[in-house]
Amino acid sequence: MPLTPTQLEALRALLDRLIPNDEFPGALAAGTDKFILQLLTHACAAEAPFLAQGLTQLDTEAIARHGQTFATLPITAQDALIFALEHNRTATPWPAAFPAAAFINRLIDLAAEGFYADPANGGNRDGASWRMIGYDPLLPARPSAP
Amino acid sequence: MSAADSTYDVIIVGAGLGGGIAAGVLAESGQRVLLLERGRDLRYRDIPGDHLRHHRLSIYGDNTTHEPAGHPRVFVDPQGHSRTVYPHEADYHNNALTVGGGARIWGMQAWRFHPDDFRMASRYGTPAGSSLADWPIAYADLAPFYERAEHEVGVAGDPSATDYAPRERAFPLPPVPATPTGAWLARGAATLGWNAFTPPLAVNTKPYLGRAACVQCRQCIGFACPTDARNGSHNTLLPRALATGRCTLITRAHVARVLTDASGRAHGVEYFAPTTPDSAQTERRTAHASTIILAGGAIETARLLLLSTSPQHPRGLGNHSDHVGRHLQGHYYPIVSGLLPVGFENPNLGPGVSIATTQFNHGNPGIIGGAMLANDFVKLPIIFWRSHLPPELPRWGLANKKAMRELYLRGIDLRGPVQEIPSPDSRVTLDPHVRDHFGLPVARLSGTTHPETLRTAEFIRARAEDWLRAAGAERVWSSPMDLRLSASQHQAGTARLAADPRDGVTDPFGRVHGHDNLWITDGSLHVTNGGFNPALTIMALAFRAAAKIAATR
Repeated sequence: MPLTPTQLEALRALLDRLIPNDEFPGALAAGTDKFILQLLTHACAAEAPFLAQGLTQLDTEAIARHGQTFATLPITAQDALIFALEHNRTATPWPAAFPAAAFINRLIDLAAEGFYADPANGGNRDGASWRMIGYDPLLPARPSAP
Repeated sequence: MSAADSTYDVIIVGAGLGGGIAAGVLAESGQRVLLLERGRDLRYRDIPGDHLRHHRLSIYGDNTTHEPAGHPRVFVDPQGHSRTVYPHEADYHNNALTVGGGARIWGMQAWRFHPDDFRMASRYGTPAGSSLADWPIAYADLAPFYERAEHEVGVAGDPSATDYAPRERAFPLPPVPATPTGAWLARGAATLGWNAFTPPLAVNTKPYLGRAACVQCRQCIGFACPTDARNGSHNTLLPRALATGRCTLITRAHVARVLTDASGRAHGVEYFAPTTPDSAQTERRTAHASTIILAGGAIETARLLLLSTSPQHPRGLGNHSDHVGRHLQGHYYPIVSGLLPVGFENPNLGPGVSIATTQFNHGNPGIIGGAMLANDFVKLPIIFWRSHLPPELPRWGLANKKAMRELYLRGIDLRGPVQEIPSPDSRVTLDPHVRDHFGLPVARLSGTTHPETLRTAEFIRARAEDWLRAAGAERVWSSPMDLRLSASQHQAGTARLAADPRDGVTDPFGRVHGHDNLWITDGSLHVTNGGFNPALTIMALAFRAAAKIAATR
C-alpha cells in the first residue's frame, strides 16, 4: 500500500472534488481512486513517495487554515483550497522540489486519466464517463484481425 | 561456417514500410532475403487497446514496446541539457517497434508529395543556416512507384482530387465516407474559395487484397486495427515475401554493425538475436549477403551507419561528407481547436479524417513551403480532455465535468504537417556515455529545426483558424509553436539523397555513396519531407530502389 489510511482519506476527498458526482457518476463512483493506487504501486512507484508527501501536506495546509483535515472540510472550503494550491498560494511551506501547484496539477491529471481512459485501466467503471459524453469505441465484438 | 553464420542474397534491416516492401519485391524477383526486425511480430491481441499506453498518448508506456529499459536514447534540449529518454517519452521520437513498424498503428494518410516538394531550394532559395536543398529526382521519377504503392498496399482516395500531383491510374479503393464535422468544413472551404476533398488513406474501404473492410471503429490511430483493414507492408508485401519461401524473418534481432571490406563493399551484418525465437538469451551472429538494405527509420539507420566504422571509414559508412545523421526532420503540426454551435447528431465514425485542403502547400506570400490541412481522427475522451477543451476552462470540478459532456460532440479541430526547413545541426550522433542493452552507444538527438519552419508553421496555424471560423466554429483557439527538435513518427533526412557525394549520403536511388551494394529504403533518404504525411513517399522510394536492385542483380 503506497499510502497511509490518512493519506488515502485525503486522496478520496480530493478526487471527490476534482471530478464530483452529479447526475452522472464522479471519480469515486467510477473507481478512479483504485486506478491511482494501482499506478502508484506499479508504473508510478517512483513518484508515490512525493504524492504521499503531498497528500500529507494537503492536510497540514487544511489544518493551518481551518483547524481540520481536508476530508472533513465543507466542500466550499475544499474547493477554495484546491484553487489556492493551483496558484501556489499556500499557508504552509511545501517542498521546493514538489510545490503545491505541481502536486495538485498532477492529481488533476491522474484523476482525468483514470476517469476518461478505457475501463480496463480501472478508473472508468462500466465506461461511466464515456456514456456521459457520448463516446463508444465501437470495436467489433470479435476482432477478425490476426 | 558456424551455425550462427549464414549467407543470403539480400539482408534487410528493419521490417517497417520500407523494409517490408523491399523484402516483397526482392523475394518475388528470386532473391533469398534475410529480414531482421528489432521488434516482435505482434498480433492484434498483442497490441493493447489501452488509452493511456498507445502511440498517440503514451503516458505510462506504449502498446508495441516490449523492452523499453534496454534501449534508451539521449535527448539534448535547446539549452544544451541532455537526459536519457525511453520509448514512451516524446523526446525519444519513437516509432512502433514491431514487424510492420509505424504502419501497424498509423493514421494511414497516404499522400503523394507535391512536385515542388522535390525542388524546394530552386523554388524558394536556401535560407542562411538551413540545409534546404532540391531532391536529385523529380516527382515524375517517383510517380510510377507512388502508383505501385497505392495499388499493391491499397489506398482509398477521391479520384477527382489530388490534382496537385498528376496521376495516371485512379485509386484502387473508394474514398473514406464523409463525417459530420467534414460537412461543416466543406461549407467553410466553399465560403473561402479553397479546395477541399477527401484525403487519401491506406485503408480498405471495401474488401481488398483478401482482407476485410474497415468497420469504422472509433479507436483507430495509435492502436492495432481489429479487422486488419489498415494497410501497410505487414499485411501486403511482407506476406508476399514470406509466401515465396525465399524470405527469412528474424524478430528481436538488433543489428550492431554493417560489415565492409577494404574496398567499401558491404558483405554482411553482425547482429544480436534470441538463441531460440522465444528465448530471453541472446547470441551474437553474423550474416552475409551481396546486398545490404537499411530500413530502420531515420534515427536508427543513421545510428547504424555511424556504428559501422572501419579503418577505411572511421566516421561511419557513407559519412565522407559529414551528412550522416544531419538534417533530421519530421513535421511541425499546428493544431487548432474549435467548438461548433451544436453537437453532432451523429458522432463522427472512424477513422475520422475526412476532409483536407492543399490550398496552402505552396505559393504562400513571403513563406517557404506550407502544409496540407485536414481534420483529425475521432478523439479519444482522454485526449479531448488533455488537449481540446477551451483553455480558460477550469481543469477540475463540476465546471470541467459538465464541459466534457457538453463540448465533446461539439469539438472540431484541424492540423497539418508543415514542411520543415531542415537544419544541419538537427542531428543524430552516437552518445559518448549511454549504451544500450548490448553495450552499443545509443542515438543522441540534438539541435532544432531552422527558424523558417516556425514562420511557415505560424502561417499555417492562422489559415487553420480561418478555416474553422468559416466553418462556423463559435470559438477557435490554438497555441504558438516554439523552436525545437522535430522528428517523431515522420522522422526523415539523416541520409539524404544527392547526385553529388559531397551533398549527401545516398545516390538518387538510395544507394550509399562509396558503398555500391549498401542501400537505404526509409525516411532517411528524404532531402525534405513534404507538406504531407511521408509514408507513401517512403513506400514509393522503397519500390523504386528494390526494382533497381532486382534489375541489376
